[in-house]
Amino acid sequence: MLEAKHLSKFYGSVPAVQNVALTLEPGQVLGYLGPNGSGKSTTVKMLTGLLEPTYGEVTYHGQNIHKDLIAYRKVLGYVPEEPNLYPHLTGEEYLDMVGTLRAMSSPRKSTRIGSLVELFSLWPHRHVTLGSYSKGMRQKILLIAALMDNPDVLILDEPLSGLDVTTVLVVKSLIQALSAQGKSVFYCSHILEVVEKVCSHLIVLRKGHVLAHGPTSAVREKIGKSSLEDVFLELVEDVDVTQIANEIVEVMVSS
Amino acid sequence: MIARTRQWLDERRSAFCRSPFGCLVGLFLNRTFRGAADADAGELDLGVAVILVLLAMPGLLVSLLMLEKYGSLIRFLAGQGAFDPSKATIPDEYLFIVLSVSVTGAAALWRWDSIFLDRRDYSNLVPLPLSLGTIFFANFCAILLLAGAFSIVANGASLVLFPIAVVGSRPSLSLFLRFAAGHAAAVLAASVFSFFAIFALAGLLAALLPPSAFRRVSLSIRFASVVILLVLLATSLSVPDLLKRLSVVNAQRIAVLPPVSFLGIARSIWVGASDSFSAGMARAAMMGVALAVLIAVATYAVSFRRSFLRLPELADARPMTRISSWVSPLAFFRNLGFRPSPHRACRQFVSRSLLRSTAHLETLLCFLAAGLVISAETFAAGPYHVSAGRSTAPPVQFLTIPFILGYAILVGIRFAFEIPLDLRANWIFRLWLDADRHDARSVARRVLLLFSLSWMAPLILVSTLAFWGWMTALLHTAIWCASTVVLVEILLVRFRKMPFTCAYPSFQSHSPLIVVGYLFGFYVFKSWVPQFDQWSLLSPINAVWFILLLGGVFASLYWYRNQMLDMDKRLTFEDLSARTFS
Repeated sequence: MLEAKHLSKFYGSVPAVQNVALTLEPGQVLGYLGPNGSGKSTTVKMLTGLLEPTYGEVTYHGQNIHKDLIAYRKVLGYVPEEPNLYPHLTGEEYLDMVGTLRAMSSPRKSTRIGSLVELFSLWPHRHVTLGSYSKGMRQKILLIAALMDNPDVLILDEPLSGLDVTTVLVVKSLIQALSAQGKSVFYCSHILEVVEKVCSHLIVLRKGHVLAHGPTSAVREKIGKSSLEDVFLELVEDVDVTQIANEIVEVMVSS
Repeated sequence: MIARTRQWLDERRSAFCRSPFGCLVGLFLNRTFRGAADADAGELDLGVAVILVLLAMPGLLVSLLMLEKYGSLIRFLAGQGAFDPSKATIPDEYLFIVLSVSVTGAAALWRWDSIFLDRRDYSNLVPLPLSLGTIFFANFCAILLLAGAFSIVANGASLVLFPIAVVGSRPSLSLFLRFAAGHAAAVLAASVFSFFAIFALAGLLAALLPPSAFRRVSLSIRFASVVILLVLLATSLSVPDLLKRLSVVNAQRIAVLPPVSFLGIARSIWVGASDSFSAGMARAAMMGVALAVLIAVATYAVSFRRSFLRLPELADARPMTRISSWVSPLAFFRNLGFRPSPHRACRQFVSRSLLRSTAHLETLLCFLAAGLVISAETFAAGPYHVSAGRSTAPPVQFLTIPFILGYAILVGIRFAFEIPLDLRANWIFRLWLDADRHDARSVARRVLLLFSLSWMAPLILVSTLAFWGWMTALLHTAIWCASTVVLVEILLVRFRKMPFTCAYPSFQSHSPLIVVGYLFGFYVFKSWVPQFDQWSLLSPINAVWFILLLGGVFASLYWYRNQMLDMDKRLTFEDLSARTFS
């Protein structure tokens, strides 16, 4: 079980995240929502151990992850927000490197890479350098790299970015299948429709503070809104979206 | 036995490559050679083999020249009999040392950004189950291997050919081995010193400055380093002679400075420990190498802690704000006399890209550095009698300087135009520019003139005015401006691309001819045009003839452009990448 207690991060005196608490049980898919600059990425970095919290701690099975980061990262699969890959490596070379660095045995690594590359429709492009991949293809490589060592915890930061419709549907189903397998999934996204569909639990963040936390249906009922979109607007964005849209059109058509 | 040893070595190498540490070392080495080459973005990926050949080429060419210089027949025909290799080869040994320092230093400067771990390494490697120590030592190991590889490749040809050229015909094997060992020790130590000195400089800046400030000053420091390396190369002929002419005290002072001190290593091995002067130089050289390595290691460790480990925090911090375009010194010229959009938009895109893109600025600064060094040499060679100068024309060496600098800047920018920026972003020009109506040449011309005339013409006017009066200053400036305009027209005679938006030009059969053309152009601009300039300054009537000559060239170019087919003037975007997926 992954747990964050009183998690806070300050850059100098500027707070990025304040007092975030969450629990990620096996089989749970936790959605993490918030507008730009709300502290989502900072939380993800703290959960992956890339960033040390100013206050609070992240524990895995009761132990602070920073006590044995290597052991924690062996059970962690992570898809970062940006597909920042080595452009001179081919897709297969990159995955092979990740497998080697994760100390996977050669036969297991080769079998996994071959099967996953094929399932993600990258087989014809496996010998092409990543510099020539489209954004969606790079995203697929990141997903394969996160999944190939069968991690217990998956932290996904905007995992559907740039993917085609079919792959989006596959990944949505995949998340539910992984949840059924007892994997813990932390899902950070802007796409409310997907979060609503795949996440069993939800955290809504604004300016570094948790605004709502609980099962998705419970959060929806608590706010009294029928869709997550309305919940999000109610909690986070105190703006009239229709009015802004109309003002944009007015600016466009003005002389 | 050999087969078994080879098999054992292969197995060990394969096992090392399969281990996480070996995998990381391979990755860092590969990354340093290949850089961030992004095929889709149009970045240049030369490949390891081409880079190694480029590094080895200067040493090979000079070594081949040495074969000719020290060939027994040539020496016999020149009437030169037996010679003492330890004395006769000092100037050539110094040339090899500065060549070694310059080539290795240039390679280290070229890969300056790849020496240290960056954000991409962080996001790919740190989330994996690896200790930070493994990443640290793997990169350090890769840097050591790189230093070794650069040193060996840059000097490989001379290690073999120079001893053969000098003492290959002598019957004594021990002399050959001693000479080869002395030469190898000197040039390899010089290479290692150069690589680690650059590495230490980069590490020191990374350790002392905030990352954003480091990025900003990095380019200036690299520019200064290129100038220093070129100056070192230029000293290859004068320093050995200078050492002979100076008094012992002064010679000792110069001799302990790198790279002169590396001569001492070679001399110490050639003549033994009996020469205390050479032994002192050798000690200084070894201390220089040790100091460079120590500083490099210390600053690497500090910058790893200070920059790499703090990357996630730095990513969330706000970037430094850019200076407002209206405060910029070029703002006045940027907004002067340009047609409204889209011409103006294109010109602003080109000038901003040139000033902000590191690769383009590096190219321009390399040419400028070469121009500065050649100008300094030319200037130092000139006889100046300023007090008597108001009635006569300035010496040709003085007049040559702006022509050299102008040529370096214009050709540098012209080369930079061929380097693509992110090709994925050029759709905006493809979409909005009318290929038949839009004249990319006009944009390129204005940018070239903006980056040369706008600041050089006032400088030339003021500097000439200070010594030779109004008439000479005005005439010299006018002639330089007219020559520059003609040069710009020549450089752009067949130009039809929006700068930075096309892939690298492919190698064609006439490409070497173009390079020869540029060299010939430099010769003309450095030698003939300043002489015409001086001739014109002696009498304004002469100036009229010179201006008429330039006008004739200009008219010929205009006629040539006019008779070109329309399809040859049409705006083009050559970025067809077969490897691109969408």
